[in-house]
Amino acid sequence: MSKGKRRAVVSVTAVAVALLAVGLILGFTGGSGQASDITYLDGSTSAWMYKTGHRPLVPDFTGRTLTGASLRLASYRGKVVVLNFWGSWCVPCRSEAPTLAVLSEQYRSRGVSFIGDDVGDTPASALSFTREMGITYPSVNDPGYQIAQELGKVVLVNDTPTTLVIDRTGRLAGVIYGSTTYSVLNTMLQDVAVS
Amino acid sequence: MSVNQGLAQASSDFMIAALLIYSLAVLAFAGDFAFGRPRRSAAAKSAVAERTPELAAVGAGTAVVGAAAGSAGGAPAAPSGPAGGGGSLPQRRESVLQAIGNAGSWIRAAVALSVVGVAAHLTAVVLRGFAVHRAPWGNMYEFVTALTCVAAIFFVYVMIRYRAWALGVFVIGSIVIALGLAETVIYTAAGPLVPALQSYWLSIHVTAMTLSTGIFFVAAVLGIMYPVAARYRARVAAGKAQSGSNGLLERIPEPAQLDKLTYRTVIFGFPIWTFGVIAGAIWADQAWGRYWGWDPVETWAFITWVLYAAYLHARATAGWRRFANYIQLLGFASLAFNILVVQVFITGLHSYAGVG
Amino acid sequence: MADVDTPESASAEDGTARQFSDSAPGAVNGPAVARTPAAGVSWPLWAWRQLTTMRTALVLLFLLALASVPGSLFPQEGPDPAEVQQYFTSHPALAPWLNRLGLFNVFAAPWFAAIYILLFASLIGCVVPRTFRLAGSTRTPPPRAPRFLKRLPLSVSYSSPLPPGEAVSVAASVLGGHRFRLRRSTDSSAWLSAEKGYLREAGNLLFHLALLGILVSIAIGGIFGYKVDKLLVEGQSFTDTPSALDEQNYGRLANGSDLAPFSITLNRFSASYITTGDSLGQPEAFHAYLSYTSSPGAAPRSYDLQVNHPLSVDSAKVYLIGHGYAPVFKVTNAKGQVVYDQATPFIPASTSTFLSDGVVKAPGASPSQLGFMGVFVPTAVSVNGSLESSFPAADNPVVSLIGYSGNLGMNSGPPQSVYQLDTTGMTKLPGSPHVMFPGQTWKLPDGEGSITYTGTQQWVSLSITYDPGQVSALVFGMLALGGLLLSFLVRRRRMFVRAVPSESGSLVTVGGLTRTDASGGFEDEFASLSVELAEAHQRDPATSAEPEPKNHPETGA
Repeated sequence: MSKGKRRAVVSVTAVAVALLAVGLILGFTGGSGQASDITYLDGSTSAWMYKTGHRPLVPDFTGRTLTGASLRLASYRGKVVVLNFWGSWCVPCRSEAPTLAVLSEQYRSRGVSFIGDDVGDTPASALSFTREMGITYPSVNDPGYQIAQELGKVVLVNDTPTTLVIDRTGRLAGVIYGSTTYSVLNTMLQDVAVS
Repeated sequence: MSVNQGLAQASSDFMIAALLIYSLAVLAFAGDFAFGRPRRSAAAKSAVAERTPELAAVGAGTAVVGAAAGSAGGAPAAPSGPAGGGGSLPQRRESVLQAIGNAGSWIRAAVALSVVGVAAHLTAVVLRGFAVHRAPWGNMYEFVTALTCVAAIFFVYVMIRYRAWALGVFVIGSIVIALGLAETVIYTAAGPLVPALQSYWLSIHVTAMTLSTGIFFVAAVLGIMYPVAARYRARVAAGKAQSGSNGLLERIPEPAQLDKLTYRTVIFGFPIWTFGVIAGAIWADQAWGRYWGWDPVETWAFITWVLYAAYLHARATAGWRRFANYIQLLGFASLAFNILVVQVFITGLHSYAGVG
Repeated sequence: MADVDTPESASAEDGTARQFSDSAPGAVNGPAVARTPAAGVSWPLWAWRQLTTMRTALVLLFLLALASVPGSLFPQEGPDPAEVQQYFTSHPALAPWLNRLGLFNVFAAPWFAAIYILLFASLIGCVVPRTFRLAGSTRTPPPRAPRFLKRLPLSVSYSSPLPPGEAVSVAASVLGGHRFRLRRSTDSSAWLSAEKGYLREAGNLLFHLALLGILVSIAIGGIFGYKVDKLLVEGQSFTDTPSALDEQNYGRLANGSDLAPFSITLNRFSASYITTGDSLGQPEAFHAYLSYTSSPGAAPRSYDLQVNHPLSVDSAKVYLIGHGYAPVFKVTNAKGQVVYDQATPFIPASTSTFLSDGVVKAPGASPSQLGFMGVFVPTAVSVNGSLESSFPAADNPVVSLIGYSGNLGMNSGPPQSVYQLDTTGMTKLPGSPHVMFPGQTWKLPDGEGSITYTGTQQWVSLSITYDPGQVSALVFGMLALGGLLLSFLVRRRRMFVRAVPSESGSLVTVGGLTRTDASGGFEDEFASLSVELAEAHQRDPATSAEPEPKNHPETGA
């Protein structure tokens, strides 16, 4: 074949191969970029803890609780905070609620405070939920998901329920996506409440 | 703004009038077949052949004239060529009115009726627009009446320019059928548009689709005539039919002429269809949040586009050229399917036919 | 893709002219069709050549059209997953097979992708060499004029008082004025070659390359873009974060952290319908009055969101997709405490009457949990004893509820849709169905509590999309259209002028030919150019500005 044609075929093939390579790389390596500053718990990617020194600072927020009182995250500095996003309409939230109630009582004396963030809900339904589940810690009334967006700066609040464990210096220590189990949250609190 | 019922009624009246006038035109065209002068067709054919010398020259290279008349003295040759023979330069043609006059009284009547019919049709479409205070192609009925108007205007222009009187009965006849169906089966009273259609993109996207569909309509009718003409010529050439015995088939232009005319019609319509699809995508992004979602109507518009693209490719591929016409008909079939079946019966975002 | 260029050799003068025209049969389909792998050509090379033939492109085009058909006839996962589910339930034997063939997601199926990838590979393999060839042909001069111009499709002869050399120079200035590329004879014979119309092939190539650009733009949008939905009741607000959104679809390399950080409040939604005439009940206008902040802490702004007027926020666009009614219910438990008090979105079953279905779930009710399946009728009329809606506006709203008590199944297990009630652990309450007007209360039997229909609100469904490939897709679309028009309107044509000496000066012959004269009109152009040349050639040699020297240096190769 003529020189021009050979040149054309070679250049076209080179472009095609390059595109194919890029496509394959994108196709097979998208997604789980494992950061080196976290460790997963329980062998699943839905619960992890940040290593000390790699914990991001959680932005402050204020809100009104379901009973009308004012609440501010920064006022909890010095305590470990468990921040749980929930809704009365959410089935996994209902199934984890007893666990949260138990753990909140268990760790109260060790300077751990539980705060709820009630999203997409109304006070009537939410209060009947807390009453029913025996949850005594306060929950912020956040029907518009404002706080979830605030926290999106450090961690994506993907779905409900989501539980965040914040250490005594206001830094994010652990994240649990989905319904939490006693053992996972207990492990996290044992680690963080020590300090 | 509420609908102006007076104008809406007037629009309906003009549409019915157009339908009747077109029917009379079809009768006049048919009358020419039955009773018109046979001489005229031969002259018409040579007139058309003169306009397309390179077609005659394909493979032969002989339709070339040497000296033009009276050139020994150095007079410029081009403008007044020889009157009767084939020439390489376009002849100074007889004027339009002369040509119509020479074609016989039946054709005179048919062309006059066609032009009046087009005027009435256009008036009906425009009045509908004024009645509803927007571009008059907001539902299926309006779309069909508008596209047939485009087809009619385009065809009358083509018929007069190429002196192709024999095509009249078929194209105008098809328009009569389409308009008749529109008036009876899919008639929709004049009314405002649903919010999804209230956008200036209606004037852009649907207008382009109306224009291109009307043009493809004409190409499709020509495409249907092509195998009829080809078969007749083949039978004459094989001695199975007497040339000149069947007045109707005799007057249909040569298959090569039909093919060329069809090709030019399709390449006129194809960019407009492409533009219409792009404008539709822009509008879809404005209204539905995505410029292409494989909605059934979008999918069939894509299929239609691909088929007409295949037609253009087939015409340039050795061995496929004779099938090209059928590909074009397949493309129009998919277009018609899109309008009449997909928009009406298959639910999707595009179901604004206003029917049922 | 028409008319493959064949190399023009200087010796085949007349052959050149014939090869240039459309009539040459062998020139159309490319040179290497006949070779098989066995004839000494390697297998991949043969396959590649087969791929880039017009025939293959045609077959692939047909396949593409054919493959799109099932995508319009069967319900598709992307736009309508509920319909797909419906198909499974109504065709239990057939549906799994259709699913295996990918017919419920045709346009994402691998076999569909294979067709258009092959088509574009064929396109690239054809277009790239032709681009090189076009670039080459613009550098090489036009071919020599054929010896016998009268054999060309269009030609004309006349005499001129000018000597041959001058006649050719005059012709050169005339044709040069029409921006033809010229080549003049350098030997003793006097001839001129002129060529024009390279834009046609350039337009053709531009069109095909622009199609490739569109494909790439669609891919970029699909990889980096997203489309998320949210249903919002009047008075509610939400922020653009994953936990707040309903349906979320992200491209392969996009995720929830790419969402723009805005928040939107729906202040009020109003829908107006036509109240008289033939189009009774047809919607007239929809207005969703929003306030929004483009980022937390930014100043709130307001916007009237309508169907063809999306809201642009940050890099995303918000669209009004649908709307419906959300009747407000208050449920009390046996003790009279309020356990549920909110507007409950009901989904319209018909978009013409807005008869809607919905579910109320009150898990906080005691002694047992309560659930209600309801029908909302915006303008209720009684037709033969049954309730129907005669008009889409809430002119005479009524709800009809079927009550259940027991276990909603919400305390454990998989997440439930808020629009569906699982009645397996529940018993129907006597007195169902119970019809209520706004303000009425249904005191539930056996002291289970009560439910009150307090009023009616409306909801809107919004779609938030981000497509980074959008603008480039449009640009390439316009370029494709431009290329298409160029390739249809411009014709590549050549004009030749030969002048041989005669008693009165010279005999000038002008010839012309064109490739695929798609739009027609070359005869007219040839005619007018011939007239112009002839007129220029009638000038008396004495009136020329300067007498031409005998050995005037001719330019051109």
